[in-house]
Amino acid sequence: MKKISRPKPAKRPKREENKESTRQAILRAALALFADKGFYTTTTKAISRKAKIAEGTLFNYFQTKEDLALYFFEQELSGVSDWYRRDKRTQNTPLPEKLFAIIHRFLERLSPYEEFIGAVYLRALQPSSKLSPLSLQSQEHNLRYLRFIREILADAELEEEIPKVGDIGAYAFGIFHLAMITYWLQDRSPGKEQTLALLDRCLKLATHLLKKGGWDW
Amino acid sequence: MKKIVQPGALARGFRLGKLGLILTGSYLGYQAQNLLLGEEERAEREQRFQQKASRRVRQELQSLKGAAMKIGQIFSLQTHALSEEAIKELATLQMHAPAMHPSLARAQFKSSLGKYPDEVFREFDPEPFAAASLGQVHRAITRSGEKVAVKIQYPAIRASIENDFKLLRSATFPGRLTGHTPTAVFEEVQRGFLEETDYIHEGKNLDFFGGALRNFTYLTIPRVHWDLTTDRVLTMSFVEGLTMSEFLKTKPSQSIRDAIGSHLVELYYFQLHKLKTVHADHHPGNYLFQPDGRIGLVDFGCVKRITFNATDLINCVVARSWRESEKGARQVLGLILGQNVPYRRARKMLPLLDEMAEILHPERDDSVVNFGDAKMLEALGRAMGVTVRDKLANPEFAFISRADLGLYSLSHQLRAHVNCKQIWRSVLDM
Repeated sequence: MKKISRPKPAKRPKREENKESTRQAILRAALALFADKGFYTTTTKAISRKAKIAEGTLFNYFQTKEDLALYFFEQELSGVSDWYRRDKRTQNTPLPEKLFAIIHRFLERLSPYEEFIGAVYLRALQPSSKLSPLSLQSQEHNLRYLRFIREILADAELEEEIPKVGDIGAYAFGIFHLAMITYWLQDRSPGKEQTLALLDRCLKLATHLLKKGGWDW
Repeated sequence: MKKIVQPGALARGFRLGKLGLILTGSYLGYQAQNLLLGEEERAEREQRFQQKASRRVRQELQSLKGAAMKIGQIFSLQTHALSEEAIKELATLQMHAPAMHPSLARAQFKSSLGKYPDEVFREFDPEPFAAASLGQVHRAITRSGEKVAVKIQYPAIRASIENDFKLLRSATFPGRLTGHTPTAVFEEVQRGFLEETDYIHEGKNLDFFGGALRNFTYLTIPRVHWDLTTDRVLTMSFVEGLTMSEFLKTKPSQSIRDAIGSHLVELYYFQLHKLKTVHADHHPGNYLFQPDGRIGLVDFGCVKRITFNATDLINCVVARSWRESEKGARQVLGLILGQNVPYRRARKMLPLLDEMAEILHPERDDSVVNFGDAKMLEALGRAMGVTVRDKLANPEFAFISRADLGLYSLSHQLRAHVNCKQIWRSVLDM
């Protein structure tokens, strides 16, 4: 099919690209500072200095540290779904292992920024915060993630690994994922192995329950 | 730090509670029926009930991953609440952990060693080739090209064992099972369990036995790769060989089977007499066999140091010292039962001892024991069962008896002919 040519096709993507790389640079600088000094004590001034941009420019990209946090989560979530789409081995495993690998992958990506995420979690409890699960901004990236999970569950439904769970399944998994992050944040066991055990058992149990339609004892 | 209640604990507690209910529940029904039955019928019914109950015990315990299973084994020795049938059932229990899928095994490896398997090994097989106590074993090849076995523990087993013990101490477990078990025994058992969850400890056992048994050239014990070992990951050299059932399928000749049986007895006597430390887990999966009769011994999680004088006991059994004088009889009974059991009660055991001695160290000239004889194994089991079940035995003797039975049952599977008396003499000379 013949493509319809648009006026000035090259410039826009270029500008978008530049913007994106600045955004990335800011995030990298912020994360390094959060890991080093903590989320609360890091100032926007320090971030802009580290990212080598003017403080005013920083505000063009992120109005608050919360916006930075949102962007961070968005990046990490799409990082996980990109990884999953590339990883053929994981795609061919049974559902409990797939879901385990997804959450574990996510936790692995978060692990260098544990303190920062803990702080973000506290913020997210305030309904006025942009990070609150009720805010429009966070709903937007939530939805993208839920669709990703919905696809995986739909595959499992087709393979008859689980009965039809529909959108509810993806929502339930989303809530479970949040709960696991909370558990992981406070897990003080060596290597956070309690989280691994809990994650494994919950997923196996849930799949088992869905398959059998009840607890067989 | 806030203590988080383990989700598993509640479910397990519930299950243990339910087990108690099933046992006591049906036991009551059985007692009621008894009033209405004749003697013979009663005995038959009792047998049936015991079989059913012991099967139920095993099924319930087996679905409880964690410590509960081994606890089943230990209760079978420590109390006479369970019948012989139940003991048989319980003796088959193994310490199982849930299987780990490759993603979990990888994650647990990283959680313990700080790196993923593919970052430290040249090759790593994500699928396990064997189940181990508390975890599973994977094949791998090190950077320097050596074949190794990597044992990975299921995450948070230690915490779940601690929970199991908390539950067992509480009232959930049926009184019939725990009522006779003193706290000290409980603590000893718990300590033993927690020790088994520590692979560093197992690695030290491997080092110890590797050194102490190095002169037995027919034996291979894996070498620990300490740089790739933690409390939850144990990397050791790969030992080639077939499991007992695979080995038997190759139809090994009688002479090879006899040689292996003799080796097993020799190793065991050497441990009892010289090392005063025994590899006590004679589970068939812990042994690997090669066509030429060489033996690989793996899994050193369950190792016990003994203070009990096994040398004197075996010497007494070989010489039948109790027949010579009352002093001799008192000595041997003291060894088996400890000094607290009055002689009048203890001497009732002597006919049993005669029976056991005749089986293992016969007075016939050739003195070869045919382990293939099922009646022999049964008689040994019965004799030991009586001693242990009557709670007369010194706990260390009880423990050794369990290890003995394991060894005899291995030799039985091999249908080996072994001259135990001769081997004992040669071990004394080592």
